[in-house]
Parts: sequence; structure tokens; C-alpha cells
Amino acid sequence: MRIKFTQREVAVAAIALFGSASFTAAPTLAAAAGKTPGKYVTGDFHNHTTCSDGSISMQKLVKKATDKIDTPWGLDWFVQAGHGGNGNRNCTLVEDATLGTPAYPYTAGAGPTTTWADSIGAAQIKGDNGGVGGNGNMWRWQSIQEFQYPLIEYLAAYKNQPLFIGVESVVAGHEHTSMSVITGQMPLALDSATLPTSAGYTALGNATALAKWEYCFDRADADTSRGNVTGSANGNNWNCSVTGSLNAADPSWNAAAQKLVPASGTGTGTKGHLKTVEAVKWMAENHATGSYYVPAHLERAGPFNPDGNNGFNIEHLRNFNNAAPKIAFGFESQPGHGASANRGEYQVKRNNIGGVLTDSAGGTTYGGTGVYAGQIGGVWDALLGEGRGFWYFASSDWHNRGIFGPDDRRSTQDFYPGEYARDFVMVRNGSDKLRPQAIVDGLRTGNSFTASGQLIDRLAFVACVSYPGFGSRTNAAVEAIAVAAATNNTDIDVAGCATMGEKLVVRPGAEVVVSIVTRDPAGTNYSPYTFANPSLAQIGVSQPMNAPVLDHIDLVRGLVSGYKTPGAADYAGAWPTNTDWLKSDGTTADLSVVPAAAKNTTAAVIKTFSGSGATPWATVNSGVDNTPFLKMTYRIPAVSASQFVRLRGSNLPAAVPFETDASGNPLADVYTNANDPTRLRIPCTAVGTNVPTAGANYTGNTIDGCPVHLPVVGGVKYVAFDVAAWADLWFYSNPIYIEVAGSTAVAGVK
Amino acid sequence: MTHGAISVLEATMPPTLATSLTTPITPPPTDPATERSTAFAAPAAARPRGTRGWLREPLLHFVLLGGLLFAIDHALVGRAGDPMRIVVGAAIDKEARDLFKASRGREPDAGELNALRAVWLDNEVLYREGLALQVDKGDTAIRERVIFKALSVVDANVKLPPFDDPLLRTWFDAHRAKYDEPPRFDFQEAALSGDNGEPTVRAFVDALNAGAPGDAKAGLRVFKGRPHANLVRSYGAEFAAALEQSPPGEWRAQRTRDGWRAMRLDAVTPPRPAAFEAMRGVVLQDWTDATLAEQRSAAVRALTKKYDVRLEAAAK
Repeated sequence: MRIKFTQREVAVAAIALFGSASFTAAPTLAAAAGKTPGKYVTGDFHNHTTCSDGSISMQKLVKKATDKIDTPWGLDWFVQAGHGGNGNRNCTLVEDATLGTPAYPYTAGAGPTTTWADSIGAAQIKGDNGGVGGNGNMWRWQSIQEFQYPLIEYLAAYKNQPLFIGVESVVAGHEHTSMSVITGQMPLALDSATLPTSAGYTALGNATALAKWEYCFDRADADTSRGNVTGSANGNNWNCSVTGSLNAADPSWNAAAQKLVPASGTGTGTKGHLKTVEAVKWMAENHATGSYYVPAHLERAGPFNPDGNNGFNIEHLRNFNNAAPKIAFGFESQPGHGASANRGEYQVKRNNIGGVLTDSAGGTTYGGTGVYAGQIGGVWDALLGEGRGFWYFASSDWHNRGIFGPDDRRSTQDFYPGEYARDFVMVRNGSDKLRPQAIVDGLRTGNSFTASGQLIDRLAFVACVSYPGFGSRTNAAVEAIAVAAATNNTDIDVAGCATMGEKLVVRPGAEVVVSIVTRDPAGTNYSPYTFANPSLAQIGVSQPMNAPVLDHIDLVRGLVSGYKTPGAADYAGAWPTNTDWLKSDGTTADLSVVPAAAKNTTAAVIKTFSGSGATPWATVNSGVDNTPFLKMTYRIPAVSASQFVRLRGSNLPAAVPFETDASGNPLADVYTNANDPTRLRIPCTAVGTNVPTAGANYTGNTIDGCPVHLPVVGGVKYVAFDVAAWADLWFYSNPIYIEVAGSTAVAGVK
Repeated sequence: MTHGAISVLEATMPPTLATSLTTPITPPPTDPATERSTAFAAPAAARPRGTRGWLREPLLHFVLLGGLLFAIDHALVGRAGDPMRIVVGAAIDKEARDLFKASRGREPDAGELNALRAVWLDNEVLYREGLALQVDKGDTAIRERVIFKALSVVDANVKLPPFDDPLLRTWFDAHRAKYDEPPRFDFQEAALSGDNGEPTVRAFVDALNAGAPGDAKAGLRVFKGRPHANLVRSYGAEFAAALEQSPPGEWRAQRTRDGWRAMRLDAVTPPRPAAFEAMRGVVLQDWTDATLAEQRSAAVRALTKKYDVRLEAAAK
């Protein structure tokens, strides 16, 4: 048998309906900026099907990600996005009849692992090397253009859900990026389309722009056919030129392919990075508001490798953002794969770079977040310290459940989209339904936050200026603005106030009133475990795993000092590698070893909110649904320099052994990573009466003892895999900028 | 029997059996001189040609032994089935019917059943071909799954020995440190932001002792019932000793491993020895876990003896 089980491909996207989002403006809000009304809606834009290296069909993934009944974590919007490159499996074929639809019915004898050659026939596979006599792989551009997009469009209409398709690009010069070009997808005509009642669907829109981008710029797409039928000039005849660039004059230009094909070997990383800068330029030129480019798990592959394809240093993020600030506007520093043996698949000595085994940047995750954002004063704060619009996102990176089946609630590998990590994004759709453009616009604004394990599900983060005298604001006044926003699941529109992704322009000496209103949802989250959180058990706290309680919120502030100049000494610098950062005992170095380019030493926690002290956070019941919210306020006195403030919060207090340090910072997750059992430290001792065996397909949510798949060392069962993730929850907000007149301009944000 | 057939036999039977079968045809160690003399012994034609001589003919021995091995091989391999044969039988049909019924709510008709059998067959072919291609090698998920299933088999064969309270009590006494309640400390930190140098912290401590609220600066962290080991791990041994000796209710500047902090000891809960009677249920579970874990480890160690394990130097 000569079949190669190649695993690279792209995917689809999706979005979920946001019901009757009737916007109820609080009477205390003055319409200052005339914002289009919107709500915070949850979504995911990085996940996989069998078209790349996932394990289930598109239909099953869309159902798992958006269904709010069978899978109660159903998201409001969903982008299906597998790897660029190619793949040999047809992810449009469903597993069973329950997933069948009139246009895409279940076909006995076929499923999502059926190959393209065995389903559509090898003769239908286009481009180089895939079709008759080839390897049976379909290039991602074709599967997007001809198969995955029509299906996702049909599902969007059939289910009336906001879905679209994207790609997790295999990046030239680097590892991976979540991206999409939405141009052509989900046209308005779809609203009134009459769907077929029998097999077959002809799309009204198209994902040709995305398919072209994938052909032109994905490193794993080695096709040179220009998007054509094999061996012919029939087809797309794509040309990947970027206006104003070298294009054909570039030594990497391949005339037959009409695209840049950097040579492998020495310098391939550097040349690849330059190709990727061209990719974002192309997006800016052709799809200025209809695309996004968000590097995924960007610490995983280690530092940048000029002679290979590894990680992203801060200078590469700056290069992308400089070239296309409205497109390269953030990163997934909170990776998916949250239940894996090496959380996020970040690992010590993971990458072979020039013959040297090199850690993922930071060595591991920190409370599930990569070191670039998890370390206060690190890469993210350095970018924010320039005043860039550069935002933090999370994703599921769904592939499979590890040793368990796809319907099991336990996992040793991935969580489903929405099950654990959720992006809450302000989408201003007014009275319209959620559509791809409004969602991408929402992502771009940075008015969003992420939460793992449903630690919080509402957040209003508001900064208002207060001047002495007539222009003064009380804490109560600003809290009222935030309460109105949070309880209505919307944001604010008040002159003199700003929220996430925005900037507040003030005069020197102004006082800034920061109010936070959040909801720690009642009831249980989506964890299948009901036993007490073993991490908290270490400090004598008994708290069910599936009923986490927000312990505190940190307000982080950093100063803004302006954009770094390309080529300057403080523009580029890799995060320290291996034990220069993460020591063998699991402790880390401090920022003194981080190059100036990659840090912002002005960033610090300036306030920790909790239920303790003379001014603890207060509970306020929503006037909308009577659920309890927490409100708190901090006044930043007499600001004289431009700055940003952002939030993080956790269910874990400070000084929880092997989880948080004395200041509440997340510790390295090596102590709960099963891939190195010598470092496991947190015992799991809960004994229950409902602990299913590994072989069972457990679909419930009442496992009351430490599960059987946890690693056992010396007779002791230790916290790891999904238990580690559910035990250790965090939320992160995007920042609010405060631009002080006469100080540094926050140039990246309007 | 060809050499290739022997290889197949080795590959398809338990290692111990394969070893016992191959041993007879493995030449015993010989003295080089003897071997040489055998090799250059007088030709068979020079020996007496009678029946008894014929029975001592080495070629006959080889043929008979080969025939015997062939018969054994045929019997064993025949029983095991042709590795290239795939049987789609009743068990597969039942699985297919059950799956179909679970998703569709009815029995499959003949056409649907045939289609399901075809799916199973396709998958079985892919599975076997995949194994042949060794696509399972290097796949940690598959490795872990197989390990897990193998461990389940091991688990099924371990058995808890009889126990009684004296045995549990003895075990409890030997592990008492696990059950005794350590001293626990309630304390607070009045957090500062930015400068946490000693002068700043001492000045803040003075203000706190003069009545300033604990959250006057960056916030108040309240810690309840933290054991000594927690203090040492999170703040350092020096801090733990200093805090534990502090007078309750007084803010003090305490040096920790990452800077000075304003801390106040609130209360100390003295240690309490655990009572077996109160802990019996937990002790029973812990003893069960530990005993089974010992048995499981011993079982795996026994299996390890079958292998030629060579521990090389760890990679740098």
C-alpha cells in the first residue's frame, strides 16, 4: 500500500447565532460615540477536522461547538479552521445518520476518514501530485473552495448559525497562525435562500479569496498549479503578486507557480518570514477589513530560527503589525490542547533547532497561557507598551480526546471549542444577525476577553476620566456605567470613558476611575468532575472542580513609550531559551535576562481586588436577570504618562503550591504535565463512587473521584491532563489605553 | 521449513514459546577444535552403510526435525488463522447492528448492513495496513492508549490481600505524617505595587499598625489555614520561621525570597495528631491504593524481566 497518511489541511469556519440580541441601553448611558449596539458573544477560530489532522467531520465539529443542548458549551459563533497544506480525508462526510442533513446525508459505508479518492474520485483532485496516479491528497485550496466552504455555508443557513471558514496556516518562516479571509463568504442572499431537500448543494457565496491566500502563502501548500486542474491552465490561474513588492524580481519567486517559494536550508526561516510579511500585505491590499492574521500557540515552536520554521520572536509580531495593523492585530498566547500531557503542547526540549534541543519559549505554559502573555512585563506588555493594537486570544485547537473517544467528556489531549477556553468578543451587529464581517470587526477592535473553565461569563471593564470640580466622577457613577454594561452583556458608550481595545484621552493630572463588574456564573461549569479541586485542597480549601469560584482580580498597568524602530537595538530579541528561563526545578529567571526588545518593566499589578479588606468587591444583583455580579473600583491618581491597564483573574489565590507564586502569578505548568512524571507534584486523592473506567464512553458530568487516566507515581495519583486544566482557571482582558496629552501617543488605537 | 517460516512463527507466538521452539535447532556452543574435527570428519561414504548407520545420518535428523517443526508450525499458525485473512462475521454484524440501531432507532436492512460491513472491512484493511506501515510508531497517543489498556489487563490480575483493623492501624502508624494535622497559620499580606524595598515596606507597616487598612495600597491578600510547608515553598524558610514566631495581630516587614512584604500573623492552629478511628475510611482507601500500586508495579517489573533492557546514558 502506498497511501501516505499526510496530515495537513485547512478548514472551515463558523459562527453561531446570537438570538434576539435586543440592545437595552441603560438610561444612565449617554450615547457619546454613537457606537452600533452589540453584545459580547463567544466563539473559537482554531480547530480541526479530518480534512487536516483532526478526528471528526465538519458537521460533528460544528454541532459540538455550537449545540447548546447536547454539548452545553455551545458557542455563539464558530470559525472552522484546519491546517493549510493538503490532506487525503473527506471531512464533509458524516459519521452517522444523526449528523446527516438533506444536502449532505449520511452515506452508509463512508465517513470523515474516507479518502477523497474513495469519495469524489482521484480524477477530481486538482493541482500537483494529488489526483490520478498521485498521492490522493487534495490541496487545501481546493478543499476550501469546492468542498468545505459550500458545506459550511449550507450549515450556516440550515442551522441559522454564524459560521465561516478559516485556516490554521502553516507559516512560512514560523509555525502556525489562525487566519481567514472572509470576502465572498456568507453573502446576504443566503438569508433568503431555499435550501435543497435532497443531496447536493451549490453555494451562493465562495471562499475563493481564502483559498487563493492559502495557495499563495501557506508554507505547506507546495502546489504550483496556480489553482488549476492538474496539468492544465484551466482553473483559477492565480497570481500571488503584492502591489509594490518585488514579486517576480524576488529570488524566491517561482514563475510557474506565480508565488514565492523560498528555498529550504540556510536562510529559509528568514526568507519565509519575509514571505509571510508579504502575505499580510496582500491581505491589507485586497481584504483590508475582511481578514485577520493571529499567530497561534506562538511560543510552542521555540524562538525564531533563521534557518528553519520555528517560533515567533517579538520582532516578527512587530513586523506583521507594522505591515498590516488592521489584520495582524493579536496572538493566541493562550494555546489550545489544554488537556494534553504537556499543556498546550508546550514542552522542554521540544524543538530541534540547528541540532540543539530547544524548549518552547518559556519552556511550558503558565496557568495555561504562554510566557509571552503569562509573564507580566513580557512580550505582550512590551507590544502594549508601544501603544499597538495587539490583542490576546484563546482557542481550542481541537483535534481529538487523546485516549478517549470523541464523545467522552474526559480528555488527555483537547477540549472542544467553547468547552474550556472561550473568547468573548464585542460584536456590533445592531439589529442584524451575526455575520462574518461584524465578527471580524469585533476581533479587530480588541474589545474582548477570554475565560477558561467558565470562571467568568460577563465582564465590563471601564476607565473614565475624572477632573477636579465639575468634571469629577465618583466611584459609584463609574460603577453604575459598568453595571449597566455587564448586566446587559454589552459595553459602554459614554463620553470620557473607554473600555477594552479603546483609549481614553486625558489631560495631565487627571484621575482615572477604573471600574470592573463581572459575573462568576452560578451553578456548575462544563467540567465532568465534581470532586474537590486538588490544587486548592493543598491549602485546605474544598471547592468542587465543576464549581470554581473567582478568587481575585489583578489590575495590571504598564506605561506606553511609543513604537520601536525597526533595526534599532530594542526592536528585536528572542525570549531566553532553555534553562536560561525555565530552570530544572520548575522555577524561572526574571525579566533581567529578557532582552530589552521583549519586555516592559513598567508593567505591574497595581491593584488586587478580592472579597477581603476594608473595601472588598461588592455584590450587586442584576436588574436584568437578578443574577449576582461583583463590582469594584480603583482610582489611578494624577496620571502624567500614557499607559494601559488590563485585567487577569483566577480561581487560585496567591501562594498555592505548584500553581501560583506569593504574588499570585501563575507558576510554570511543568508540575502538572504528565509527559514528565518526575515533576508531578499535586496529589489527587479524591475517591468516588462514580469513576468510570478508561474503556467506557463516559458522556456524563458527575465523576466524583480522581479519574483513572491520571498518572500514578510511587502509588500516588497526580493532577495532570484535563484535571490540571479544570483545576487552574484564568481570565484575561484586553487592555484599555490611557493617552495623556503631551505624553506618548497611543498610535495603534483610535 | 524455510528460515522465513521460522521468522513468522517467532513473530506470531508468545516470546517464551518462540524461544523454546527455536532452541533445538540452535547449535550448542562447541569447542572450536571439536567443531573443526567434525567439519573435517570422514565422509559418510566411509561409514558402515547398515540400517543403524542410516539412522545416525545427520541429514535424516535434519529432515525429521524440520518436519516436526513444520508440523508444529502448521498446527499453530493454522489455528491462529491466516494473517492475511479477514473474517467479517457475526460479531461484526452485531456491532454494526447495534451502532445503527443506536443512531437510527431501527435495524439496518440488508443493503445497509452490507454497507456497514464494507465500512468495517475498509477500516480493518486500513488498520492492518497502518500497522504494517508502522504508523503507530512514534505516535504518543496510540502508545499511551495501548499502555493504558495493557495496564488495565495488569490491574485485572492484581488482588487485594485480606486485611483487618490491626493491619490498617499498623499501616496508619507507619504513615502517620500523612494524617496528622500540621500546624496551620492564618495571615494577611498588605500588598504594595512597584517598590517593595525594605524602607518602603517598613514605612507602610508603620502606617498599617497605626490603623491604615490592609488594602490601602495594592490590595489585601488573606490566607487561612496555610501549613508550614506551604509557607516554605511560597515564601522561603526564613520567612516561614519569622512569621511563625510573630505576635498575632501585628503588621511586620518580612523578607521573603522575592522581596520584602508587609505581613501580619492572625492566628495559629496547633497541630493535632490524627485518630485512626476517625480516619479509618481514608486509611483503608489509601492502603488499598498503595497495596494495589505495589502489586501493579511488581507485575510490570516481572514482565520487564522478559526483555533485554539496556540503559544508555541520558541524552544531554
